[in-house]
Amino acid sequence: MVLDREKPVKSSNPKSIGTDLRVSIFSGKVLIDSLVRLSPVSLASNPVMLIVEVTFFIVAAMAIYPQGFVPVASPSGRLFYVEISAILFVTVWFSTFSAALAEQQAKNTASSLRKLETEVLSKKIVTEKWSRKIIPTKSTELRRSDLILLEKNDIVPIDADVIEGIAMVDESLVTGESTPVRKAPGDALIGGSRIVSDTITARVTANPGETYIDQMIKLVESSKRPKTPNEQAITMVLFGLTAIFSIIIASLLGISVTLDLGADLSVILALYVCLLPTTIGALLPAIGLSGMSRLYQRKIVAKSGKAIETAGDVDVIVLDKTGTITVGNREAMELIPFEGYSKREVGEAAFLSSWYDDTPEGRSIIRLAYDKGFIPDNLNALGLAHVYEFSASTRSSGVKLAHSDDFMLPKGGKAISQRQRISRKYSSASEESVSSSFGEVEIIKGAPDSIKTMVRSIPNNFDEAVDTISASGHTPIAIARNGEAIGIIRLRDVLKTGIKEKIQSIKIMGIRPIMVTGDQPLTARSIASEVGIEECVPRAKAEDKFGIVQKAQAESRIVAMIGDGTNDAPALAVADVGLAMSSGTEAAKEAANMVDLESNPAKIIDVVLLGKQLLMTRGAVTAFSIANDVAKYFAIVPVLFASTISQLQALNILGLGLNSAVLSTLMFNAIIIPLLIPLAMKGIAFKPTNTMSIFLRNTLIYGVGGIIVPFVGIKLIDILLSMF
Amino acid sequence: MIDAAQGFSVILILGVSVAISWLISPYVTGIFTRAPSRVDRLLNPVENLIYRLAGVEPTHGMGWKEYFLSGLLVNILQMAVAFVILSSQGMLPLNPQSFPGLNWDLSIHTAVSFATNTNLQHYTGETMLSYLSQMAAVQFLQFTSAATGICMFAAIVRGFTVGSKDMGNFYVDFVRTLTRLLIPLGFVVALILVWLGVPQTLSGHVMVVTVEGATQKLPVGPVASLVSIMQLGNNGGGYYGANAAHPFMNPNPQSNILEMVLMLLLPTSLIFVFGELLGKKREARPILIGAYTLFGINLFIAFINATHLGPGIETRIGGFFSTFWTVVSTSATTGSVNAQLAAMHPLAILSALLGMLIQAAPGSGVGVMYMVMYVVITVFIVGLMSGRTPEYLGIKITGRDVRLVMLAFLIHPAIILIPTIVAYASGAAAAIGVGSDSLGFTQVLYEYTTSAANNGSDFFGASANTVFFNISTAIVIFLGRYAPIGLMLALSGSMIGRKRGTVVGLKTDSISFSMVLVGSIIIVVALTFFPFLALGPILSFFQGYVNGLG
Amino acid sequence: MKDRKSRLNEKERASYKPIIGITIISLLMCGLSFPLLITGLAQVLLSNQANGQIVQLNGRSVGSTLIAQNFTLPIFFHPRNDSASGVDPHITLQDAYAQISRIHNATGIPSSALEEIVNQNTEGVLLIFGSPYVNVLRVNLMLIKTFPSAYKDSV
Repeated sequence: MVLDREKPVKSSNPKSIGTDLRVSIFSGKVLIDSLVRLSPVSLASNPVMLIVEVTFFIVAAMAIYPQGFVPVASPSGRLFYVEISAILFVTVWFSTFSAALAEQQAKNTASSLRKLETEVLSKKIVTEKWSRKIIPTKSTELRRSDLILLEKNDIVPIDADVIEGIAMVDESLVTGESTPVRKAPGDALIGGSRIVSDTITARVTANPGETYIDQMIKLVESSKRPKTPNEQAITMVLFGLTAIFSIIIASLLGISVTLDLGADLSVILALYVCLLPTTIGALLPAIGLSGMSRLYQRKIVAKSGKAIETAGDVDVIVLDKTGTITVGNREAMELIPFEGYSKREVGEAAFLSSWYDDTPEGRSIIRLAYDKGFIPDNLNALGLAHVYEFSASTRSSGVKLAHSDDFMLPKGGKAISQRQRISRKYSSASEESVSSSFGEVEIIKGAPDSIKTMVRSIPNNFDEAVDTISASGHTPIAIARNGEAIGIIRLRDVLKTGIKEKIQSIKIMGIRPIMVTGDQPLTARSIASEVGIEECVPRAKAEDKFGIVQKAQAESRIVAMIGDGTNDAPALAVADVGLAMSSGTEAAKEAANMVDLESNPAKIIDVVLLGKQLLMTRGAVTAFSIANDVAKYFAIVPVLFASTISQLQALNILGLGLNSAVLSTLMFNAIIIPLLIPLAMKGIAFKPTNTMSIFLRNTLIYGVGGIIVPFVGIKLIDILLSMF
Repeated sequence: MIDAAQGFSVILILGVSVAISWLISPYVTGIFTRAPSRVDRLLNPVENLIYRLAGVEPTHGMGWKEYFLSGLLVNILQMAVAFVILSSQGMLPLNPQSFPGLNWDLSIHTAVSFATNTNLQHYTGETMLSYLSQMAAVQFLQFTSAATGICMFAAIVRGFTVGSKDMGNFYVDFVRTLTRLLIPLGFVVALILVWLGVPQTLSGHVMVVTVEGATQKLPVGPVASLVSIMQLGNNGGGYYGANAAHPFMNPNPQSNILEMVLMLLLPTSLIFVFGELLGKKREARPILIGAYTLFGINLFIAFINATHLGPGIETRIGGFFSTFWTVVSTSATTGSVNAQLAAMHPLAILSALLGMLIQAAPGSGVGVMYMVMYVVITVFIVGLMSGRTPEYLGIKITGRDVRLVMLAFLIHPAIILIPTIVAYASGAAAAIGVGSDSLGFTQVLYEYTTSAANNGSDFFGASANTVFFNISTAIVIFLGRYAPIGLMLALSGSMIGRKRGTVVGLKTDSISFSMVLVGSIIIVVALTFFPFLALGPILSFFQGYVNGLG
Repeated sequence: MKDRKSRLNEKERASYKPIIGITIISLLMCGLSFPLLITGLAQVLLSNQANGQIVQLNGRSVGSTLIAQNFTLPIFFHPRNDSASGVDPHITLQDAYAQISRIHNATGIPSSALEEIVNQNTEGVLLIFGSPYVNVLRVNLMLIKTFPSAYKDSV
């Protein structure tokens, strides 16, 4: 898998995000912004470029009044001074331009994220003098302490507290618990849940998820964007280098004056600017902002730049099995009858028991039975069936059928059209049917251990069959008919496409994936090994994640995890990188340092890769910038004292002309900034391999390349200049 | 270039030095871990007596500030003692030649120079220093400065070591380094040197009538004990003005080779000790490979135009061994010379300057410290390219760490370049007859480089015994010694108790990292000093000079 | 309890008292005892070397083999007149051979005998290291001893 710069790792609609560089470049806003940033006051935050600007003023003054600078300037060099000051000005402008461009890009991307938020129309209560008004309001526009009215079938737009009224609320979308919960004044409502009965008034307790985007936009727009620890350290390197080069340049000037070596101030200042880490100095802000932009493009909102950086350091990723490694739904694969029962009996019983099970699992069971031709003939009886809804306590569901010839349309559901088709086609078919056509039939399906407790006798091979299925990584569902266990359905977890490769790629980079699942150990281990994960925590509840994160951290690991439920919040808060799902609870989103608006947990891996890319890009541009200095020395030092020391021309290995050496080097120094803007904004491309290979490859390209490229570049510019 | 036999002798001498260094490293490590040792029965009572007399609480662990201040204050007090002895030697015993006390500026310069392991000499020992000064000022400081450097090294490593609670106790480290390493080793080496022909006597200079009837003064004295510690402790300050070119200090090829091995012994050994103290022996690898690769590069540069026997070169030593020695002495920051520097080819001088500017190829006690600094900055700049926050020994490198290291790198150019200009601008250089050409510039640049690097080899010798050069180099020497040590201790001290990762993204113990390290050291040093080296030895080379004799 | 605590604190606190003791003790150990001990042992065990390898001629000390002395008469081998230390006691083998004809002319000693003496006094080749050289004082003393008649007027 390649983290390609052209294609975002995963983005459902990349075009909709404003990332097109060309659009940004031609927007006048960027141009104006880049010019405004030229003022020394706004440059103060970037001392390297500020110094370049100061040298511009000095050389410009030399161009205007060279006599004032004798003996370090000569009036005959006026044109040369004009040329140098022009290039110095452009150098500063290139840097402000790249910063303005990156900021614009980040803003565009961030604001386009607003559109992605799923909006719910809610009823906001506004009290005006004596009357209360209900105003339809988008959930994204609600703010903390707003009052809302919730009626039957309304979706709770956002976390809120009940103030008035009692209602039954279905929280299954959020918590997975299907039984509606009674909510009275003082109780908390979870955003995303549904009112099943009655009407209540509630007070909003959190600002909507969209506030993260606001926070991000503020982060991007603020000129005082806090520097990440890494940026701080790089800034120290830049300060240090700037100080060292300042001493060197001052010394060169001092020696030239003291020993009467006749160096021109403009050439010394040109050398100064060339040595200063202008490339990284100019691009550092852009690199950080683009890192955020790349995250936005994947519809992930980071609350701080630090979080993205930390993602690059992650050693351990705690992955939820469901949603990350497997698609949420299991699929029925096989029907296994116990002794004394046929496949058909199991198939028909499975069919009947799943009729009212409107989950992907239930639908897949019906599909399997249908494909095998195990269609019960008493479908009509389903119409009057008593339905046992799934309950978490019994972990089972089922139906009780009374014999009836009347045909009734089954209860509606998402798959209603399919069922109608089946019903119509087979309702009259009464071939040999093993299911009893008289009396009551009760069919229950559920977790094997709970079925075990319901049946009168347990078949000999019950445990063996269950274990075999579990050991192969599948999930067994037992079926009981009239209190007898008759068979088992083998359900299979469906792996997400490409997950194996993703796991492989993070492992190769030395990151340890830990899979967390509620499944039993055998199933968990089997799925883990199928995707190449060595470590898994089975039978885990959301609360256990906290312990898992802490344990890994105690081993000095940097841990990334995902979460959506309120129970995940503590773990999300303690994890070094916590990615919350936008569909999750407000508590989870509050605790995490990133929120995925698409609620795709597998994206945690992309986040890690993006973090690495950000660090690499920063390192690569820094190393490139410093390595460039070698060639610049070789270009300028030979001509520095050309008027008095001819022998140093021996160092002029590029064979540059006297003035041209200075101008070409300065031009190269300036032009490299815009040339590297695309690299800074897109990030450097890398293949996930082991850290040392990545390191050596990048060192070769950007370090060694950084030494060679300017030799070639300066010579090329020199040749071009000599043509005019 | 050198011939095959000479190439072989380079490999043999370096091989033997590294091998012996490796062999003694577990013993040296034990000095700092206080692991039980066979010599305990003999030395524990002695050391305990010293602790009791001096009021040292051996179990007291020091933070980096206390450790640094203890070392600094002990050194300053020792400077004061040496200053008193040097300036008042005329009134003190063991002065058979009745030499008068040294001037205040020369006394200060000499005390600072020796207390900091620099041993830059602006005096001629055989005509200016009494036996007491040679022993109680010079040799005394040669022992203590070497011990101080080694202690600082040990403290710095402790900071990086997992599980360290403090930096150790300076006084204990200092005493143990003397009693267990420098004194016993120095004892054996001194006797071998006497056996090879180095004098050791307290009777005055011998007056003889030569075969042709002229009177000749033979400047004997307590030489062997000084030469022993000066080479072993990477001090480099000689008994005689001619340093190790003098036959009484370096009587034959055997003594010449022995002294070269001695210069490499502790610097190399401390590299292994670094790995052993850390509990990660492999981490010594990049430092060893880095140091010896840079050393090899320096040798290569120097050997491009090996000096031949001629003016300034001793017959028994020859051009090849004079060049080889110069590289060893400057790379290992000893600073002793067995030939006149002015007799050296400009490229050999370039190599010497590089050795002193790098200070870690392999460097003396603080050489490993410099190498660690290079590793930190290399890990930081190139390590980011591995896609992780750079870590060294599992510790994330923060902005503060980088600031400390950058400050240390800043000190060198500041204290070398600024005084070089001042020396010219003030006329001080011209006053001692130094020209304003590439040769003269090389000499002034060399003077402050050797001071900043605490090396001590120089072109000037007693001719630089002027107030300007004595005081300016003393200041440079002082800053060049204590500022980087203080910064590095601050860096290392902050590592104690810091969170450490167990998964290291960047393998600093790999060969490939070692090579990247070498590259980045060359770039850092070249970027800082290239224009000045270009005006000095490089220009001399292009101007066709074959040596600095003008 | 309180006492123990305060004592502990004292132990923790930085103390710079030992700097004086450490300075004095190290001065006594390194600056005096060490060189004096080496001097004593060297004088007892290796007194020739320890005192500068003084050589005798006719019962009187005439110099050290390690320190060059001036030879100006044509009958002697001459030392180098440029040298780092200024007291280089050696000349190269080639330099010694080059002086044979002058000494032969001045003394009448056969060149082959002079060559033989030079060869006998050749040193400085340690395995493969270094190139051969001759100690000027030693070879001249050998000349005086071997050909006393040729030198009786000069010494």
